Amino acid sequence: MNTPFYQLLTPARWSTAWGEALFGTRLRRVLVYVTVGVLYLSVLSYHATYALLGLPVTPFASALYHLLVLACYGLTYAYFAHVYAGIRLGPLRVFWGIALMSALLYGMIFLIPSFGARGIYDIEFGFPTDIGTVTKMVVLSTLQALFAFFVLVRLQGLVLFKRTKRSIRLWYGMLIAMGLAAAFTTTPDPSDLAVDGATVPGILAGMAIGTAVGLMVANSFRLSWIVNLSFRDKMLTIVLAAAIFGALVHLIAVPEGGLGPADSYPFARVYSYPLNTFVLLTAVFTVLYCVTTFLSLLFHLPTTVDFEKKAGEVEALHSVSRLTGEVMSLERLVATIVAAPVEAGMGKSSWLALIDAKAGTLRPRVAATRNIMPAQVEAWVDTDALTDDAWQNRGSVLLNLAGTDHRIKAQPGDGIESLLVAPLVARNELLGALFVSKDISQGFEQDDVTAINTYADQVALALDNARLFEERLEKERLSREWAIAHEVQEKLLPQRLPQIDGVALAVSNVSANEVGGDYYDVRQIDAHRWAFIVGDVSGKGASAAFYMAAFKGVFQSLSRLAPEPAQFLAHANEALDATLENNVFISVVYGLLDLEKQSLTLARAGHCPIAMTGSDGEPRYLRPFGLGLGLDAGPVFRKTIREETIALKPGDTFVLYTDGVVESRSEAGEEYGYDRLIEALCRNRKQDAHTLHAALLSDLNGFIGGAAYDDDMTLLVVKWAGPSVASDGGDGQATPEPEPERTSPSANPD
Amino acid sequence: MSNFGVAFRERPVTAGPAPVRVLDLSGELDAHTAPDFEAAIEDCLNNQQHYIVVNGAGLDYISSAGLGVFMAFIEQVREQGGDIKIAALQPRVFNVFDLLGFPVLFDILKTEDEAVSKFTN
Repeated sequence: MNTPFYQLLTPARWSTAWGEALFGTRLRRVLVYVTVGVLYLSVLSYHATYALLGLPVTPFASALYHLLVLACYGLTYAYFAHVYAGIRLGPLRVFWGIALMSALLYGMIFLIPSFGARGIYDIEFGFPTDIGTVTKMVVLSTLQALFAFFVLVRLQGLVLFKRTKRSIRLWYGMLIAMGLAAAFTTTPDPSDLAVDGATVPGILAGMAIGTAVGLMVANSFRLSWIVNLSFRDKMLTIVLAAAIFGALVHLIAVPEGGLGPADSYPFARVYSYPLNTFVLLTAVFTVLYCVTTFLSLLFHLPTTVDFEKKAGEVEALHSVSRLTGEVMSLERLVATIVAAPVEAGMGKSSWLALIDAKAGTLRPRVAATRNIMPAQVEAWVDTDALTDDAWQNRGSVLLNLAGTDHRIKAQPGDGIESLLVAPLVARNELLGALFVSKDISQGFEQDDVTAINTYADQVALALDNARLFEERLEKERLSREWAIAHEVQEKLLPQRLPQIDGVALAVSNVSANEVGGDYYDVRQIDAHRWAFIVGDVSGKGASAAFYMAAFKGVFQSLSRLAPEPAQFLAHANEALDATLENNVFISVVYGLLDLEKQSLTLARAGHCPIAMTGSDGEPRYLRPFGLGLGLDAGPVFRKTIREETIALKPGDTFVLYTDGVVESRSEAGEEYGYDRLIEALCRNRKQDAHTLHAALLSDLNGFIGGAAYDDDMTLLVVKWAGPSVASDGGDGQATPEPEPERTSPSANPD
Repeated sequence: MSNFGVAFRERPVTAGPAPVRVLDLSGELDAHTAPDFEAAIEDCLNNQQHYIVVNGAGLDYISSAGLGVFMAFIEQVREQGGDIKIAALQPRVFNVFDLLGFPVLFDILKTEDEAVSKFTN
């Protein structure tokens, strides 16, 4: 058994728990069918045996018979309840069903007894003694029982329309009381119970019947389904309830074969008086329920039209929840927003004016309309002034006589006779206004105004959400694009540094943002000359990155044509003059290394001075004069640029860097500065290029501590070891080696 | 961090065609604060004041973006017959101007008075 036992005792779970316990598996279902069949056949055979053979009825046989009947019909009811538990029909269909069944039963009860002879029965026990009477009795009783079960399960759907603990308790309480009343009906004639009032079953039956009737009254006021009916459905239900009422009242009163106690032959009562009691109580409950339904529907009818109108408004507000589903598309959202007031019948037309902050204006713009063209709105209504008025007002503005307002230019017949302007405010910010117009003056009732204002509040929220969503989306899109830009820019920098005979290189580069404006490169000019460059585009971020890319092109193409430093920079300055914005410039250090002459020629275009040290000599900064690229169109630059040539001695080390290095600040806000850089260089001058580079970085990182880099930063170390022994004429062919020298500072750029 | 500030002053000059507008810079002029400085110079130009002295006595730091502002307007100012002169820079800030070669392109003077008198001569 997969249903916990305690659930069978919990009223709220009964319909499912018992159903599961009895009919949960195919085997159980078959078992129940077989049991019901066997029980029903035994009941039949009891009557058949008695009628045909005329065996005397012993009290034991009688008691067994009634138990069999109860078991058979009890299981049948359980099956009904299980099957119908999952089916929820509308009230109208429930009443149709009950009315049809009542009509059927009504016909049968009047039809069946009239066949053949009237009841032939044993005077002493009241049992029928011929086959015809037995058949009539069995058919009638079975029909009545099935009718009662059908009505009960159908009414259960209505009574438990709103399932609460209380309603469920009341309902099952009533069923139990009815069941008990049936079980305690131990004599065929209920009047016997009254006479033998002293018997225990008689008292119990009376109490059970009283309780059942009390609970019936309580249950028959469970009519909450009524409010959802339309006017037409209410009318129909009234008629059906009246018809069922009439039929059942008549059936209860029918003397012969009816549901109630009878003067003439009581077929059903003879068949099983407990079952008859149950059927009778069901009929009474149905009658009661029909009476309350009839009366409350009658009282509800006049207010139905108003109620339906209100329901329309409620529906309009419900569409607000649809609004939240539309945040993905602003276009669909605004269309839904203007549609709702018109669909709910609160206005003839409506439109939405929104302030688009992105458009850079505070003037609201018509974003969507319903039943009116945007051009008409523009022509007829001063949306701007009305939105402003509503904002100043901190609430809606109602124009009852729109035609007389100076802000409305619509003519009579244009359909704007009254106008409601509800401001849309979210997080204390005006988003725009919702306009609803009617083609009659004084068209808005207080209800409408309240409803539209409530709606406008929801609209403002939905719009605000949509906007936040869009911003978020935009942000994510941007961050993806930045990531791509970062990757692209990494590709613009050398993937590996070349190997040059007698020269060791080490470099690092970080950007403060995803993309930066720093550039470095090393390039072979001819068999014995190499050019290297470190540049820094002014500013940061995207614009700097674009100029950096442009500058790479300039370096790649110009360095071959004009390899001499001053020449190169002068040409680069002229080449970039047209490209660079007048507030952007590039500072550059360009060095030309001649392996044959063992010399390094440097030129500086506005860049930080080059730090250098010999293996024994004093460290110093090299600072040949030169303007930054892009500061001057050409003549002054050419005139002022200077070169400096150094005859290389083994151990000479040059450090090229961008201002991000010397301007890096400690947590206390102090700059790293030129002095610390050259001291660090001096201390580590004996180290090889790689170690020296790492030492400089660690000195810098140690100084700035946990502070983040706030500028792009490049650091290139060039160390001259002397002419290589293996070198044959300085043919320093670049050997592709997986960038052993390129390192990255450990600190995170952001 | 952005404790940058620009203050306007006017110095009546007898010899010049218009009074000299003095911009007192303070704090740090970087990519974030450059637009404030830009707005200040634009304000001068909108008021037809093309004789501008930038007093850098209170300026603690200037980034390349800050230097860019001078470059952005100098051509326009000079076309109008005016100039932007830079005065009283702190040594460290002057070094930044100097590295880029600004002294070749701009009058950079030790004191504001010298800068103003440059206009009158």
